[in-house]
Amino acid sequence: MTISDETLMAFADGELDEAARAAVEAAMREDPEVSKRIARHRALRARLQAGFAAELSEPVPERLTAVLRGVPSATASNVVDLQNARAAMARAAQARAAKVRDGEDGPRAKASWGTAGSIAAGVLLGLAIGYGMWSQGSLPIGRSAAGPLVANGSLAGALSHQLTTEQAGAAEVHIGVSYLAKSGEYCRSFTLAGTATTSGIACRHAAEWQIHALTQEAAPEGGAYRTATSAQPPIILKMIEDQIQGEPLDSAGESAARQHEWQPPK
Amino acid sequence: MNTSAASQNIHEQIIALLPRLRRFARNLTRDPHDADDILQIALERALTRLDQWQREARLDSWMFKIVRNAWIDEVRSRGRRAKIFLAEEMGADVGVDTADKQATLMSVQAAMLRLPEQQREAVSLVLIEGLPYQEAADVLDVPIGTLTSRLARGREELQALLGPEETA
Repeated sequence: MTISDETLMAFADGELDEAARAAVEAAMREDPEVSKRIARHRALRARLQAGFAAELSEPVPERLTAVLRGVPSATASNVVDLQNARAAMARAAQARAAKVRDGEDGPRAKASWGTAGSIAAGVLLGLAIGYGMWSQGSLPIGRSAAGPLVANGSLAGALSHQLTTEQAGAAEVHIGVSYLAKSGEYCRSFTLAGTATTSGIACRHAAEWQIHALTQEAAPEGGAYRTATSAQPPIILKMIEDQIQGEPLDSAGESAARQHEWQPPK
Repeated sequence: MNTSAASQNIHEQIIALLPRLRRFARNLTRDPHDADDILQIALERALTRLDQWQREARLDSWMFKIVRNAWIDEVRSRGRRAKIFLAEEMGADVGVDTADKQATLMSVQAAMLRLPEQQREAVSLVLIEGLPYQEAADVLDVPIGTLTSRLARGREELQALLGPEETA
């Protein structure tokens, strides 16, 4: 008995009922050609999935998220903290530019969030509460000896190793976009799973991932645990837009950067 | 039940779906700008119709349908304006860049661009967005048999365009 290609397709897609499935399985045992045709259907699905996976990590334009966040009270982000940090950062950048001026040919008003040690303590407090359930019992973000906030633990691991196209939906850390910043460093945006959604940007500085931005949204109703979704707050997307040099890295670019341990390209 | 909190929750769920909705819109329109435009229209419409969404229904299917209807309306209202296919341009790169992963990526996308609309929709919903046949059939407003035959033809076409899987 020959089995129609449509039936084999449905088998490959997991759409057959038990009886039909058993019939196909029997045919597979008898005829290797049947298995081959099924394998071809599966391979095609896998190719399409792989080919279109990268689009999911592209930042969604703010005008689209704004439609859904149109109500002023729709989300209670810690935007205020970031705005304070932004002001502090601007002052720091000015001071730095003044110092740099004699050494270099002009002030480079590069927006480096790394030195904004002023990212408000409130955000870190939120993290401490939100991450009580982190496996090591330690925060994924800490303060380095030199002062700036740095990623550690599973966040640092994910930033160094996780490719945007290969991440599991239920991963503790979701990487949004990877890009080369105007500062010449590689940066990656991330979202952490937890009782509140924490998102941020980390940039590779020497052997550390410095946290350049951090936002946290209020816990949803009931404080249920949320997975790290791919949605990133508009303010993070805006910062990426401001910092990015060229286009976000595609999967080949990410692999290459990872291979060189995210050190700045020559 | 606090309805404003509930609807806020749906807003967040839709935001989480945005990357997929956007990918579907691009496969539908074959133009990233059109895709974002109709997605915006679809989101605005969805917000005015949240009360029509039944909780037992899948939110993603419901949204895919609104996106598709927004596109149908758009095409109708502007008349189908001739589109210069990106397909040729994208296909042209394939031979040049033999860095295998990149080449596969381009050719899969170029092949999708060449599929007739009905097959492209079916392939996009089932093989890329991962909807079960019945859900996809509901989004497209067709019987399940129609969906499966479009899907089968789309697959055949893609196999022909892509050739056998290269073993890298």
